[in-house]
Amino acid sequence: MLDRQNYLKVKLFLKFSRDVRGRSSVQISNDFEHLKALLLWAGSQPFGSVPTINTSLSDFLFQKGEKGLDQTELQSILNTNERFFLWVKAMFPVEFQNIRLSWIMKISAISEGKEVII
Amino acid sequence: MSENQNTSNCRISRNVLIKAPGLLPMLYTPREIAEDLDVPETTLRDWLNHGAPHSRDESNHIWIDGKQFAAWVDSQRNARKKPTHPLQAGEGFCMRCNTIVKIHNGEIHPVKGNLSHLKGKCPICGGIVNRGIWNAGSSELPQG
Repeated sequence: MLDRQNYLKVKLFLKFSRDVRGRSSVQISNDFEHLKALLLWAGSQPFGSVPTINTSLSDFLFQKGEKGLDQTELQSILNTNERFFLWVKAMFPVEFQNIRLSWIMKISAISEGKEVII
Repeated sequence: MSENQNTSNCRISRNVLIKAPGLLPMLYTPREIAEDLDVPETTLRDWLNHGAPHSRDESNHIWIDGKQFAAWVDSQRNARKKPTHPLQAGEGFCMRCNTIVKIHNGEIHPVKGNLSHLKGKCPICGGIVNRGIWNAGSSELPQG
């Protein structure tokens, strides 16, 4: 079972993106699909403790994508997740004080040696 | 914690059939699941009354497991599918008897190109039964 608080934070981020940043419903829908990967990766762990997970998000996406992942799609998923973590750290500074900015900036970097379909 | 409900088939929209597999393995409130599937909450509560899997906690709040709900939606789709019976060679559909019958004294009349017309009699009511066939061969004619 996934952590419900994680899900609620994702929903809050999507609401913020729509109401404040003015993202369209299609963009919101895409963002939600991208963040579902993050929810599945975190599993029952709260987002505040995800840096302790051994597998990186990009590695998790590689394992999950049986038919291979498109380079642009993968980068897009990672960028959305990076945006989410930057937002969540700004909004909940105490809860996410353990998450370093350097770790967040590393999310969108694809591990070296990984083959992606271009 | 879990409940027993009456289990009848519900009409599930195509939109829900597409979105339901994307539900996450977690407990949703009815409002959350209604938002994710883009259906009115009243519709969702109606489905819960018609057997959609859910549970209640000690405060009587309803919780829906995303994966279980997706499986239920899939089962509803399969439950609504009518069993099909493709017509075999020499068979036709009698409009009078409203059933599939073996055509008696069938004759093939070419119509145009590969399209032919099989015409015969219904063995039950004796009425005329017609059937259009592509690439008609002798196998289309009923034996005997």
